[in-house]
Amino acid sequence: MMNCLEFHRLTLADPRRLPEEARSHANDCAGCLAFARSVDESETALERTLAVAVPEGLADRILLRQSAQRRASWKALALAASIVLAVAAGVIAISDGDSASQARLAIEHVLDEPQSLTTHYNADPKRFAEIVHDLGGNVREPIGRVRYIKRCPVEQGSGWHIVFETPQGLATLILVPDRPVTAAATANLGRWTARVEPIRGGYYALVTDSAGSNSAVNKIIKQRIDWQT
Amino acid sequence: MGSKQQFEQMVRAFSADLYRYAYWLCRDRFVAEDLLQESFARAWKAWYDLREPASVKAWLITILRNEHARRFSRKQLTIVDGEPDEYEIPSVPSSADRLEMEQLVGLLPLTYREPLLLQALGGFSCGEIAGMLGTTEGAVMTRLTRARQALRSELQAAGKRKSA
Repeated sequence: MMNCLEFHRLTLADPRRLPEEARSHANDCAGCLAFARSVDESETALERTLAVAVPEGLADRILLRQSAQRRASWKALALAASIVLAVAAGVIAISDGDSASQARLAIEHVLDEPQSLTTHYNADPKRFAEIVHDLGGNVREPIGRVRYIKRCPVEQGSGWHIVFETPQGLATLILVPDRPVTAAATANLGRWTARVEPIRGGYYALVTDSAGSNSAVNKIIKQRIDWQT
Repeated sequence: MGSKQQFEQMVRAFSADLYRYAYWLCRDRFVAEDLLQESFARAWKAWYDLREPASVKAWLITILRNEHARRFSRKQLTIVDGEPDEYEIPSVPSSADRLEMEQLVGLLPLTYREPLLLQALGGFSCGEIAGMLGTTEGAVMTRLTRARQALRSELQAAGKRKSA
């Protein structure tokens, strides 16, 4: 026979799955019925609270990354196969980085993460200097007010996504270690421009919303950061 | 288990619930999205080995919990669950005088918050939650009882203060 204490315990443990015995107890007990109604009310408030807004395009971004990783796996397999073939032929072919393709990917990365241009996150100038230092560079002078720093997945690994303010507007710097490119390159997509520059052991991609601002901001980066290339 | 297309359906079906679960675990929307990205990347690697399609959501939650634990080096939960005690509830800091539900949920210790999220967001039963958390059904019931008691007592106290 169910008592009120047991009813309270069951209701607080799982108000959505009350056994039949508990339901009939509540029908005969005004106190427990009131208690169950009050739990239902707080449960509704709890559900409303927990249902935080989900970022727009979340599922698409997840699928995009899966797809990029699958492509990268196939590329890695293809590269491995080409090396095996080259060794067999007595020739070692080493694929150099495709700078223009990295520049296009950098623009896509910025477009996939629109919140980077509207929010402040981890915006610590010291952190930026440390990241540059880890990549073998030295920040001689601030390049602008840093407002967003995030570690992001990039093709074949991870890199740093940095947004900073410049007189030409917001600029995004994607720093990618351990992914050498042999030459600088520029790519355009819509109004966006990306410039890839090799640095020691990797590259950086500068993304801005116009070709003119890209060139001006890149000049600032070259003046104020010593990459020791 | 399934094909690439089924994986995509699964991402679209569960990413919102999983994001919310991740958010309430770490309370940071950026970290929550990172956790989700990593979790689905791990899920993809094991996708073709999944043997129980019916429990795919629970499987994803387990991956997400492991990823969260790995990232934050969380130690194994060591709480000792006893019998439910009507008056024993997790303490909420006294400075939390006028807290709303959102803050109250965030203040719950993770051992109480997690089963509450799994039930309220995931719709899992106490038995299913016990399986995911590696504990007993009774222990889960105790944690859920205490979590709701804590929320209710704080909300009731806040209501009384407001009406005073």
